[in-house]
Amino acid sequence: MAALAERSATKPARHGALAALWRPGPRHAIPILLLLLVGFAAPLLAILSFSFAPSRTFDIWHLPTLENYRTIVTETYYGSFLWSLGMATATVAILALVCYPVAYGLSKLFGRWSNLVTLLMVLPLFVSENVRLYGWILFLIKGGVLLGSLKALFGIEAESVLFTPGVIVFGMVYVYLPFMLFPMVLGLSMVPRETTEAARDLGASRWQVFTEVELPLAMPGIVIGALLTFVLAVGAIAEAKVLGGQSVIPISHDIEIAFTYAQNWPLGAALAVLLTLVVGGLVLLVLGRLDLDRILGRR
Amino acid sequence: MRFAPTSRRQFLQTAGAGAALVAGGALLGRRAEAARETEMNILCWEGYNSAAVLDPFRNERSATIKAESLTNDPTMINRLRAGETNVWDLINVNNPWARKVMYPEGLIVPLNRPRFEAYFDKMMPAFKAPYKWAMDDEGKELLGMAQRFGPYSFVVNTDKISRETAEDQGWDLWNDPANAGKYGVLESDDWNVFNICLIAGFDPFRDHTPEEVAKFTETANRVFKGAKLVGDIATMNQAFVSGEIDFHMTGGTYSASPARADGATSIRGITPKKGPLPGGKGGVAWIEITSTVNNPQLSPLAADFLEYVQHPEIAHTVAFAEGTFNPVAQMGNPECFNLFTTEELDAIQWDSLEEEMARSAEYDIVPDYDNLLDIMSAAKRAASGG
Repeated sequence: MAALAERSATKPARHGALAALWRPGPRHAIPILLLLLVGFAAPLLAILSFSFAPSRTFDIWHLPTLENYRTIVTETYYGSFLWSLGMATATVAILALVCYPVAYGLSKLFGRWSNLVTLLMVLPLFVSENVRLYGWILFLIKGGVLLGSLKALFGIEAESVLFTPGVIVFGMVYVYLPFMLFPMVLGLSMVPRETTEAARDLGASRWQVFTEVELPLAMPGIVIGALLTFVLAVGAIAEAKVLGGQSVIPISHDIEIAFTYAQNWPLGAALAVLLTLVVGGLVLLVLGRLDLDRILGRR
Repeated sequence: MRFAPTSRRQFLQTAGAGAALVAGGALLGRRAEAARETEMNILCWEGYNSAAVLDPFRNERSATIKAESLTNDPTMINRLRAGETNVWDLINVNNPWARKVMYPEGLIVPLNRPRFEAYFDKMMPAFKAPYKWAMDDEGKELLGMAQRFGPYSFVVNTDKISRETAEDQGWDLWNDPANAGKYGVLESDDWNVFNICLIAGFDPFRDHTPEEVAKFTETANRVFKGAKLVGDIATMNQAFVSGEIDFHMTGGTYSASPARADGATSIRGITPKKGPLPGGKGGVAWIEITSTVNNPQLSPLAADFLEYVQHPEIAHTVAFAEGTFNPVAQMGNPECFNLFTTEELDAIQWDSLEEEMARSAEYDIVPDYDNLLDIMSAAKRAASGG
């Protein structure tokens, strides 16, 4: 009897939930949800399924195996992971230092010149990344624009910096600069001029204004720029291949080899899953520590 | 702002329009299937996908021709294995794959032998019918047509290392510790596996003993540790011109020809005079075979296209299509050969082509390729960061 009463009590609730789902909002969201499911979730699911398929097979309908993950752990792939994470961290750190003064200038000092500087920063994005990197090859190569000019004008014979880990990080800094700069500009423009002036009036030094007023208030932009740049840089491949002459093999290159020359799709999928987990984990860790709600000023 | 709730009528109208779109799409798809006589898809190495080759055929047949170019054979073949036989009509890969893999696995279908065999008689003498790599194992079925080919071992800057020295020293250039930092490696990993076997002193195209695998591992580590750079053809040729490197593997007419055509004739493909291949041969050569895919709705244009590229003018266009320049078997026909200028013949090293081919073994399948490639990839990782 009690059970019957309970059942009849839950029935309207379930009906209510269905009705809530059939409200115009969720109903109109169905197409986009389906699109996301097919275009976003399905490929990820396919990669995840492939990562548990036996090595060098081409469909997912096998008994799941951890063979690929075992290979990754027992082989030297950790080196590629470390290079990717290390170079991405270095890129973010250098970009933070390089972009901050430019972002400060764009938001506070350049005035009507800001648009021109912004345009100059954005223009390279309209040219393919590979073309820009090959441009740097012509600039930096032995006998190229830089070393050729040094030799012709001053008789200085210098060694090329190409095909070294350093020039890979340089390439990544160059390519990802706009992705750090513009969120940082937004962050800095969220700092009201009155706040810094008030701090100065109250006797704060320049350093105190920077560390205790500007930096905390601009932090949303800095954090978003840093995360965006890190996620992009950790998956970078062109810089290591073109400028670095494969002197470093990042994890994205290992994934490419697995899917092409090695035709080991399951291993490539397992590497991709691990990379996603490592990057996702690191991003969540950072977000968890930073409390985005607080820095975004919601509370 | 609030949105007005959708009425049942409006919803039915929207759903009806959506259903009509879906049904329309399905009908269009069915019509597209029925219209395959005006469409064709080619999976190929670069060159066959160029407008210079495809546009005259498109215009002549009022057809939609799509071509996708890739730069390694295993990827193309595995695309067919993964179910894309119903997408592609022609596949253009190197010589061993048609008779040894694709035909036995049912990925390609034979050509009409009487229709096509006559074309082989107009080709260079080495390609006369029945041409081994175009036939099945029993020598009955014609599995594809030959066109581009070339020796493919390594390339030197003859201003730094003379052709004679390079041909005499051969693969030992990589065994000389004094050469560390002076060479590049082309990112052509399947061919690099062959070359590391050759540097290690054994034939790549047979099973290998554990001792040979150990030697391969040591050689791969040494070669990648000593490489100045690993990169694509453009980077290799740029590094030659700038003086960053003196020689590189893998390479040959295919990779040196763009630079030679630009006037950098000191960049030259080299075939070693001797080596560990059967008959004491030192080099490896490739020959492309283009086959019709076992597509349930194979476009009739596929066979027509194979005939079209046999025309002397089109064969010349294929040889100098884009990216890389290569000899073509159709140069055996004077009508085709006479279309090549002196500069073009020099770019493809016509002067030494015959002797280089004679010193080369034909590209074949490495039985333990997967294992050797994994070892080589690990060697690349180990060399990371210098």
